[in-house]
Amino acid sequence: MWSMIFVSSLSLGSFYTLVALGFALIFGVTRNFNLAHGELVVLAGYVSYWLWKMWAFPFILTFPAAVLVSLVICLGLERLFSRLHEPLALNSIVLSFGVAVVIQNSMLFLFSGNYRLIRIPVLSRGFHLPGLYISYTQITLLGSSLIILFLLYMLMYRTYLGKAMRATIQDKDAAAMAGINVSAMGTLAFCIGALLIGLAGPLYGCIHYLYPSSGQEATLVAVTITIFAGVGRLSGIILAGWILGLAESFTVVFFGVSWREMVSAVLLLALLYFRPHGILGHGER
Amino acid sequence: MNSKPKHYRNFAAFVLKGFFILFFLLSFVFRVETSFAGVIKIGEINPLSGRFAKNGIEIHQGIEVAVAQTNAKGGIQGATLKLVTRDDQSRPDVAISRAEELCSWEKVAALTGGYVDSLVGPIAAVSQRYKTPYVASASLQKELAAHNNPYFFRVSRLQGFAEPLCKFITERFKGQRLAVLYAATPGSTELAHDLKRCFQDRGLTVRLMEKFRPGTPDFTPLIAKLANMKIEVIVSGGFTPDHILFIRQLKENKISPKAYIGPFGIAYESFISALGNDADYLYSTCAWNPGITTPGTEKASASFVNDFQKTFHHQPNTTNMHGYTSARAIIAAIQKVLDNREALNGENIRQALTKLDVTLPMEHLSFDSNGDPTHYRHVVVQIQKRKLVVVYPPDRASGRDIFPMPSWEQRN
Amino acid sequence: MNFLTAKNRLNKSKTHWIGLFLGFMLFFALPLLVQSNHYILQVFTHALLLAALALAWDLLGASGSISLGHAAFFGAGAYASALLGLDLGLSPWATIPLAGLIATGLGLIMGLICLRLRGAYFALATLAFVEIPWVITDNWDSLTRGSLGLVGISGLPSIRIHGFHVDFGSSIVVSYYLIFAYFMILLGLVAFVHQSNIGLALQAIREEEIAAEAVGIHVNGYRLLSLLMSAFFTGVCGACYAHLVRYIEPGLVYGLHFSAVPMIFAICGGRLTILGPAVAAMVLYPMDQFVFHPLLPAGHEFLYGAVLILAMLFMPNGFWGRLRNAS
Repeated sequence: MWSMIFVSSLSLGSFYTLVALGFALIFGVTRNFNLAHGELVVLAGYVSYWLWKMWAFPFILTFPAAVLVSLVICLGLERLFSRLHEPLALNSIVLSFGVAVVIQNSMLFLFSGNYRLIRIPVLSRGFHLPGLYISYTQITLLGSSLIILFLLYMLMYRTYLGKAMRATIQDKDAAAMAGINVSAMGTLAFCIGALLIGLAGPLYGCIHYLYPSSGQEATLVAVTITIFAGVGRLSGIILAGWILGLAESFTVVFFGVSWREMVSAVLLLALLYFRPHGILGHGER
Repeated sequence: MNSKPKHYRNFAAFVLKGFFILFFLLSFVFRVETSFAGVIKIGEINPLSGRFAKNGIEIHQGIEVAVAQTNAKGGIQGATLKLVTRDDQSRPDVAISRAEELCSWEKVAALTGGYVDSLVGPIAAVSQRYKTPYVASASLQKELAAHNNPYFFRVSRLQGFAEPLCKFITERFKGQRLAVLYAATPGSTELAHDLKRCFQDRGLTVRLMEKFRPGTPDFTPLIAKLANMKIEVIVSGGFTPDHILFIRQLKENKISPKAYIGPFGIAYESFISALGNDADYLYSTCAWNPGITTPGTEKASASFVNDFQKTFHHQPNTTNMHGYTSARAIIAAIQKVLDNREALNGENIRQALTKLDVTLPMEHLSFDSNGDPTHYRHVVVQIQKRKLVVVYPPDRASGRDIFPMPSWEQRN
Repeated sequence: MNFLTAKNRLNKSKTHWIGLFLGFMLFFALPLLVQSNHYILQVFTHALLLAALALAWDLLGASGSISLGHAAFFGAGAYASALLGLDLGLSPWATIPLAGLIATGLGLIMGLICLRLRGAYFALATLAFVEIPWVITDNWDSLTRGSLGLVGISGLPSIRIHGFHVDFGSSIVVSYYLIFAYFMILLGLVAFVHQSNIGLALQAIREEEIAAEAVGIHVNGYRLLSLLMSAFFTGVCGACYAHLVRYIEPGLVYGLHFSAVPMIFAICGGRLTILGPAVAAMVLYPMDQFVFHPLLPAGHEFLYGAVLILAMLFMPNGFWGRLRNAS
């Protein structure tokens, strides 16, 4: 039992990470709280579902379309956010809440309220290791989250662009003074965020299920993990995802499913209480 | 620093605007009512948006078909029915406002619709105040009907799920290791507790009771727990998405219970098409489905399916049928009042409803003193080759259930 | 020039009081204006309740902290009042203030955990905090009846004065006046707080916390005070809601809705103004119910979101703040 729970927690944590990455990046660079994040993920999932179901696209080929759609919406969203005044975090919360309501209702209108599921038969198969059974879904989640994190890491820590972006995350004003085009960094963050959303969406439709209002939970997960990790720490994000996954699973086993929501909230609160700036993050007011 | 708040300025402009907005609003409310003598208004409140939107819209469609059918036949004694539809946004406070509107402003003859008890309860309270009969389409909790409200009726109730399920499970799965899972909603919780009590009375032990919040993102730890306890039969009071996730994760982890029973949200075409072949062998219950109908109503059932398909271009399901049945109850009561040449008011319609006795596809409909349906009973079904097969009670069975369900390795 | 502006301000302040009085009279006389139409009254009763909720939220908002977790107080208040009434048979006159106190207790716990945080982290901590009372309410079956929800909650209280008996629950008119009275009391209190030293201290904290600390303002004390006041009145709003709707379940009162709605109203109306949040609630909620809903029965929330976006883009200080700046 324990090995099964352990593996599933890690894969759940990876799934959380995939959902959270776009949010964390956009929040880190632009300090915009995109409460419509979950809705965007679900929308990307719907795009993929639609192509897969209606035109029988191979699942892999739906990713570019999902990325494209989320890119268009994210750039539009960036235009909206850029018109906001201080306090930015606060105003973006309200604005994106409105966006979330709009997207959610449009999805209800466009895709109806049925629960949609992308069924990829291969993913439900798996293989046996000694004392352990691993499904391809779990492998996919673990693998894709690690690969995406690795690529992001290369971008952020091995390129000049990434350096500029990290500088923007750490201190926007100082970065601007050093000659970094902060608003271009913001646009870039939205683009990469859109890419991550476009990748997470179809996986969401295939791991979870698609329903117009299921974006809310995805947003909460993204918020929790971002705050858990501390702003701008990539390794922190996957660690936070895994810890969250493990904590939830062990709560279910020891206390029952009905306590699951609370213990992850308590974990977050305790963390904020003792380390107000996140587990790996550094000072930020 | 200026300590005086500055916002007290320019109040005149605001007041003007405020009055403008208010007049605008009031003009909407006091719009001229054109009511014709030959029109009977039936009010309908359903969650058409918000988290119960899917079910609310389905109920609405059923009601619409019932009203259209009656009007196509020339209405009731020459009077056409007019359906006044309102959305409660899945929120009880809005449901109250809507009920107030329909009762006090639209002056509807009767109310129908309503999904889940948190929305039905507040509507019922308003209907009592206005002495307007309310036939709820989908309501389960026992306490709701026990509230001594003579104007409240409903076409469904919890015992309709619990009794057949309990009998079937205790007869069929005696001696198996059983777990009851349920969602953190009033209906599901009450059903789970009723079932547990009934199982214990009949000598079947429940090894594990677990509650989860609808929309839980991962069931794997729970599945591991169930596997560890060697649970053979799972009864889950979750809803469609919970079942989808649960079954998928059972399959991914190659855990094969002998039976899985989900009273809510499985006996639907949309569920089967979402899960495909993985939906096979699951048990559920249903009150009605195309092809599963109260004996003797095959023709009425087929004509409903036909009319529904013409309007909405897909097969109706049991939720549609609940809406249809509640509307039919009101239509039958109005018909009776007019046939007796009585005044069409709330009291007379209520009287007619208490004496109602009609056979509809979903149930033989008559109400007890609490307004509960006396004959509302589900049948137990199993999905076999993506079709619903009735397996219990024996007199309505259309096939034998397959137990235990084959393991995932055998199924591919 | 100076003289002119001073005179202008005087005039404006006069028009302001006239406007305030007219507004008060309008809402006071509303039941007479719409006599036969209980529906309008019902909508405005809820609008007033939401306006009170937005005011209560903005008591904390005045200190510069944004809470995403006021549903915790709302739900705790609703459950406390309903349970005290159902299990101990207390009258709502007693249970509603008690519910406020219980919510204040919860506010104290939240304050101890969250007040050391600032800005976005504070907002997120409050968002997480809601889960604690929610899950406890959901699982403490013997006390709260868990997920079954509470049925049969009594209506708003009745008044007996020398044999003269007014039943608040059975008549919408009277429950309207009760909520209206509560709203006016809260409004008066908020206005008082804004004018008083507390309000000045909160303004100082909001604008420059370090400077406020330097001039000797006990920053966390004042922030806690504003949180407790906010929690108390939110709890009372929750209790009123329970007695108005007479049916509650955990997901309903602890859900995101009652955290989001006061925040939206406060921000649309103008977070830094006294009346702004209330005016936003009084305009947006009835507009949603009367105008958008008949136009678009199934998708009217879409327009609601769109209005919110437009307000944010073109009136960053809320429409009340914009009116203020226009003068």
